[in-house]
Amino acid sequence: MFERLFRKHETYLLIIIIVYSIVVTSVNKSFMSFENLFDIIRGSAGMGILAMGVLVALLSGGIDVSFTAVAISGGYISVRLIMATGWSNLFMAFLISCVVGIAFGTINGLIISYFKLPTLITTLGTLNAFHGILTTFVGTESVNAREMPECFVRFGSAKIIKLANDQGGTYGLSVFLIPLIAVIILTWFILRFTMLGRGIFAIGSNRESAVRAGFNIKAIQMFIYAYIGFLAGVMGVVAVSEVRWVNPVYLVGTELTVIAAVVIGGTKLTGGSGTILGTILGVGIVRILYNTLVLLGLSAAWNNFFVGIIIIASVAITSYRNKLKAYRSLTFRV
Amino acid sequence: MSNEFLKVENVSKSYVGVKALDHVSMTVEKGKVHCLVGENGSGKSTLIKAIAGVIPIDDGEIIINGKPYTHLRAIDSIREGIQVIYQDLSLFPNLTIAENISLNQMVERRKKLLKWSEVRSFALSELDKIGISLSVDDLVEDLSMANRQIVAIVRALTQGTRLIFMDEPTTALTKKEIDSLFSIIMDLKEQGISTVFVSHKLSEVLEIAEKIAVLRDGKIVGEFDTAELDTDKLVYHMTGKKIEHTTFEYKGREEEAGPLLEVKNLTKRGNYEDISFELHEGEIMGITGLLGSGRTELALSLFGLNSPDSGKININGKRVHINSPREAVRLGISYVPEDRHHQGLFLDQSIGNNIIVTVLRRLLNRLSFISELKKTAFIDKYARELRIKTPSLGAPVDSLSGGNQQRVVIAKWLATDPKILILDGPTVGIDIASKGEIHNMITDLAGKGIGIIIISDEIPEVFHNCNRVMIMRDGKKIVEVDPKSTSEEELYETVKKKAAAAGRY
Repeated sequence: MFERLFRKHETYLLIIIIVYSIVVTSVNKSFMSFENLFDIIRGSAGMGILAMGVLVALLSGGIDVSFTAVAISGGYISVRLIMATGWSNLFMAFLISCVVGIAFGTINGLIISYFKLPTLITTLGTLNAFHGILTTFVGTESVNAREMPECFVRFGSAKIIKLANDQGGTYGLSVFLIPLIAVIILTWFILRFTMLGRGIFAIGSNRESAVRAGFNIKAIQMFIYAYIGFLAGVMGVVAVSEVRWVNPVYLVGTELTVIAAVVIGGTKLTGGSGTILGTILGVGIVRILYNTLVLLGLSAAWNNFFVGIIIIASVAITSYRNKLKAYRSLTFRV
Repeated sequence: MSNEFLKVENVSKSYVGVKALDHVSMTVEKGKVHCLVGENGSGKSTLIKAIAGVIPIDDGEIIINGKPYTHLRAIDSIREGIQVIYQDLSLFPNLTIAENISLNQMVERRKKLLKWSEVRSFALSELDKIGISLSVDDLVEDLSMANRQIVAIVRALTQGTRLIFMDEPTTALTKKEIDSLFSIIMDLKEQGISTVFVSHKLSEVLEIAEKIAVLRDGKIVGEFDTAELDTDKLVYHMTGKKIEHTTFEYKGREEEAGPLLEVKNLTKRGNYEDISFELHEGEIMGITGLLGSGRTELALSLFGLNSPDSGKININGKRVHINSPREAVRLGISYVPEDRHHQGLFLDQSIGNNIIVTVLRRLLNRLSFISELKKTAFIDKYARELRIKTPSLGAPVDSLSGGNQQRVVIAKWLATDPKILILDGPTVGIDIASKGEIHNMITDLAGKGIGIIIISDEIPEVFHNCNRVMIMRDGKKIVEVDPKSTSEEELYETVKKKAAAAGRY
């Protein structure tokens, strides 16, 4: 039983997190506090939601790099529209953002499934196109904390649990946890319990076989990219509420970090293989790194360096194990 | 009341100017075992894919159970009860056995949600019907070839199947497993399920089929009752030519010459044990045996890719340790691999580049750049000598037919001027005409003094082309036989008998 556990990628990730946490705590005790933990969770929600989308894309053997542009479009349009119409209502905020997200996602889906263009090139193109549409047609003005509609501000500071700290201030577990958990459960359900989800795995595992088995490839791909758009829409609202400031240049440029987190979680870039738990742990590792480097006395500039090292280490370990397997069975196919 | 289950009527399909199927008509009767034969490039795969609805046809009709289709989709074909087991098995390597077996069913039944307990129990019950037990939670990518075949067959046999296509199902199976497969096909026949069996191995085709359809260059040459045909007639229909069997004549060794290659008590745990043999210049030694006998593992040890645990290897009397392919080449050993596509060729590189890749150092000019002049001369020489048929040597090598691809691999290794040439499954999946030409090429090379080892499953191949055959089983050398002192059937029996004697059957 233990052997099976140690063959799983997720086990190693968990070990890394635990060991790292112990190391950090020994240097700076404030790491292991509820306040810090809640802070990490609040900061991880956005990346976690997007990571679920990236996971789905990678599982199908494709990739989507346009989700940040979709997310910021959703968030920005939602803010500006609510400012313009005065409908300060969180439900409206999500609705607008998700509609924008699904619309953009569907465009991706159409190009990929009907024109059969490669996913990386397509979404690289739409990343720029969507962003361009946003800045050209909607505007480039920032919206700061004072101007931000109330619904966003309240969402950003709402807490599920409120506690008091030693300095007399309050902290708490952000409500961001709710959309994060909802998205995780929804994605998990789709991937594990629906034929649609198994179809996603099938396409990523062996596309030709999926065609031969009668899966509707076009429909499944349309769903994948529209779903990512939907998730990006959700994240857009979370992101603008988190920093209480929005400007079209925000978020775009962080795609690779999200993808890195998913890859660290053990998802293969070639498709067909990856888990929700792994993705959560991958996001966890990246966010904990961001959170703690400062506590360890290193400037935040080291963030990317360490994330890079973990990506290389994580992929190297998996590659090495595959290579050993290939050499032992004398197939030499790596 | 028709006893025709499937009728293909005047179906044509073209790909960019090449007519893959030219007014093809074929019938499959209910509960009968049919075979479809044809060379590589004859259109077999295209026909199967058209019937499976995976590719659209340009012209003609596919009538399934009386229902005509001009635009057949994969899901339609499946719903009508047609299942195809492709040569690559079309499994999902990252998914479990249970899923692979159950997925087709679930797609076909338009299910939206999954119940994992159902998936597992379904898979278990289907495996039970064939009388095989596998751990259904294992990933398919971790399975052996034979087990993957079983999963593919079980998947195809789910309810409602009326016709199964099996494309080259026996390439990776042992004789025992092939017999099991044949008995499964007979069971299917009793249940009224038709089978269309596609194979290159004519002996198998003649053994199992009731009716044989022959495809040549995209056209159906004829549909015959098996009783009307024998191997020679079949080959004639497939190729349009009569093929001659030439037998290799060993010149005999010179008086004083010692062995070119001596292998003494070579052992590698888990692969082979205590192997000893000699190879002289100009000899062609065959190594044969059932799957899993350790032949390829032994060959890889001679090529530096599978270091033996103990034993000696001598070349021209001198002891050698072969630790890498580079060293093997330096010692004059070349190995033409079993898996042409993944181990023998750089598929998206040009034919020319594939040929010169082993000898780049010899093509340098004074500035240490590759000399175009030398390169072209070299490529042309080998393309000519090995008769590689192509409109252009700059074309990517995956545009070539199997037979021509194999010539490229052989050319690449001949370029290194080997003294010992090991060929592992040199004519697997190659059409009959090319097979003969490659065999002639090999015997010519032996005439030039190269020591050759042919590793093969096909008894006729080693029988006609070797002056000595070594039979291996379960990693041990069983016996060395001189083909002249026996017959093809006897050799076949010996390979089987040694296995039987050990209680393998």
